[in-house]
Amino acid sequence: MKILEIKDLRKAYPGFLLDDVSFDVEEGSIMGFIGRNGAGKTTTIKSVLNLVHADGGEVLFEGQDLWANETACKKRIGLVLGEFNYYKRKKLKAIAAVTKQFYEDWDEETYQALLSRFSLDPEKKISELSQGMRVKFALALALSHRAKLLILDEPTSGLDPVSRDELLDIFRDIIEDGEHSILFSTHIISDLEKCADYITYIKGGRIVVSTDADSFKDAYRLVSGETEQLGQFRPLLIGYRAHAFGFTGLMRAEDAEHAEGLKVAPADMESIMIYTEKEDGHESAAE
Amino acid sequence: MKALLNKEFKLCLHPAVFIYLALILMLLIPNYPYLVSCFFVCNAIFFCFQQARENGDAMYTAMLPVSKAQAVRARVLFVVIIQAIDLLLVAGMCAFAIVSMPEHNAGGTDHGLSLLAFALVLFAIFNLIFLPSFYKTGYKAGSAFLKSAIGVWIWLVLCEGMMIASNAVMESGADIALFRFIHENIDCMPKTADAWTAQGILFGTGILIYVVCTLLACRVSIKRYEKVSVQ
Repeated sequence: MKILEIKDLRKAYPGFLLDDVSFDVEEGSIMGFIGRNGAGKTTTIKSVLNLVHADGGEVLFEGQDLWANETACKKRIGLVLGEFNYYKRKKLKAIAAVTKQFYEDWDEETYQALLSRFSLDPEKKISELSQGMRVKFALALALSHRAKLLILDEPTSGLDPVSRDELLDIFRDIIEDGEHSILFSTHIISDLEKCADYITYIKGGRIVVSTDADSFKDAYRLVSGETEQLGQFRPLLIGYRAHAFGFTGLMRAEDAEHAEGLKVAPADMESIMIYTEKEDGHESAAE
Repeated sequence: MKALLNKEFKLCLHPAVFIYLALILMLLIPNYPYLVSCFFVCNAIFFCFQQARENGDAMYTAMLPVSKAQAVRARVLFVVIIQAIDLLLVAGMCAFAIVSMPEHNAGGTDHGLSLLAFALVLFAIFNLIFLPSFYKTGYKAGSAFLKSAIGVWIWLVLCEGMMIASNAVMESGADIALFRFIHENIDCMPKTADAWTAQGILFGTGILIYVVCTLLACRVSIKRYEKVSVQ
């Protein structure tokens, strides 16, 4: 069952167009939303939640129009837009006291457990927290009202590797019951390698692909060869990097099958994204 | 709405509100344009908007399970509550002054229902200009306040100027019907039946103008804020 359906989402800014963005988030799954800075990840998330007024499209949450039922839908969505940077002179306990009044399903026990798990002192002010701790506080608030869907925009940026790993464990725990889902935007692709079930890749305001994580990786191959072979295979390469001894590049899996003489290896998500972004310019400078 | 209003008072309320509300004591100054004290309350409201903006309130609120329309309605109600508290304090000070300061106010409107009526219209002008102007962008509080302050001061100078003029004309011995009416029924403590009637009508009109203007301001603000991208 689809918990979130985004259909033909459109938003035009001077110099940028979010162009008919469509993808779904399945119940009980983690959807990784990837793309480079400025690709439209945050604009998509903000448009979905009506923070940005979309020019067109439709967003369904649990089958109902999210924009028409904004209040009810947002009660069942946990949202983290980076670190918690609001009311920095207020104490954590003051912010939590205000925030929890908006949720009938606020779970104080979970909130206290998360504070303790993240080593957050409720007596501290937001301004006294590090960047990573502010992200953790935002997560603690988002995870404490029994949300069915978590929408997280760059939640792991600013966190140390141990905290990031811990967070990914929490994400897996959340979706384990098959009823909760996570839409997770990031440019730290390694985080998604560890936890995402599905991948949606956005580039220049348009969705390149939205599929399950295995199919996403299986559709591509990393290839490498000699400099002399570059001319022959250049039309098949999505993107490549030339170096003193030859080149390394990305090909579609079906093209790689016919690439005789090249070394072929499975592609990881980060390489897929890097070489796809090189698509327009193809080559990077030889090093 | 209760949760949103709680948020407004716990997070957005600027300490200046208490200081400026305390300036209601200016109503005890003999011969003073008392309407000025209401302008200070407008100033305090502007500080609240500015404080909320600097603390990223728009984004924090947008992440909560509320619509933009609900967020605007709560903020307007927050403004109305502060203004209502000020009006109650003005009423209390007027009642106190009627008993303890029998001298006529030569510096502007005398203590009475007229003062409350003028204050209501002053707040109505402020709300009608400041709120829609602010919610056009959701962050330009300074220019919204500047525009509203011009409107408020035109009204303030007009009211207090009219009262001072009527006082001066009556003291000069000239008998002009309009100024005599103002002097005997509007710019005075309401002690006669005629004065109570005139000031009562003025006060009722003030309430009507305040309600209509504030509702209109709220409606236009919601419409404008719907189009704003919360960044």
